[in-house]
Amino acid sequence: MEEYNAGEEVSFNADEASVTVKECIEGIIGGLDYNQNKVNQWTASIVEHSLTQLVKQGKPFKFIVNCAIMQKSGAGLHTANSCYWDTATDGSCTVRWENRTMYCVVSVFAVAVTC
Amino acid sequence: MEEISGEEGSFNCEEASNSVKECIQSVMGEESYRQDSVNQWTAKIVEQALTLLVKQSKSFKYIVSCAVMQKCGAGLHTANSCYWDTTADGSCTVKWENRTMYCVVSVFAVALTS
Repeated sequence: MEEYNAGEEVSFNADEASVTVKECIEGIIGGLDYNQNKVNQWTASIVEHSLTQLVKQGKPFKFIVNCAIMQKSGAGLHTANSCYWDTATDGSCTVRWENRTMYCVVSVFAVAVTC
Repeated sequence: MEEISGEEGSFNCEEASNSVKECIQSVMGEESYRQDSVNQWTAKIVEQALTLLVKQSKSFKYIVSCAVMQKCGAGLHTANSCYWDTTADGSCTVKWENRTMYCVVSVFAVALTS
């Protein structure tokens, strides 16, 4: 569920996070073909890199970043998320990316820190 | 990154895993992959799992994520990374399969501080 709160200083900015994540994906697997030997490193790099960039933004959130990469071979892939949280402060965004040989789906969940 | 904490007030990974397995089994246990139905299945799994988790403990915010993939030789890889309080928060991932499909469900629990 994507939550976008316009105008509030400390709400999760889904658009900004999407842009950050897209850049991470592009930077790591942008020009590459699906490679079974490398894909574990790619998913790990994408989640770590995305997390680092999100934390750098300095907002008061805990983050969960989830990445799935699937080879393009005609198989169906369906994903769903459900969240029990504070809908006023917490939020998420999902980025879907593809190239000729693979799909990549990254979800970011941001939970406000109250302190 | 799966975090397992053995403390009383912390996220109980084993209990959550069992709840999730039951949800998956009850929703898709006997089914074969069907493109028309799979959206409903993923939605039901995440909703039922969330309901069970909230019943187990209300001192967490929860995120439940489910992916169902048809079995036809394609590779699927997933990774999670979390920036949180490692002493209070936790996660678990359940991988399930039958003859025609794979299902991966991840639960993330973020402690409520109040």
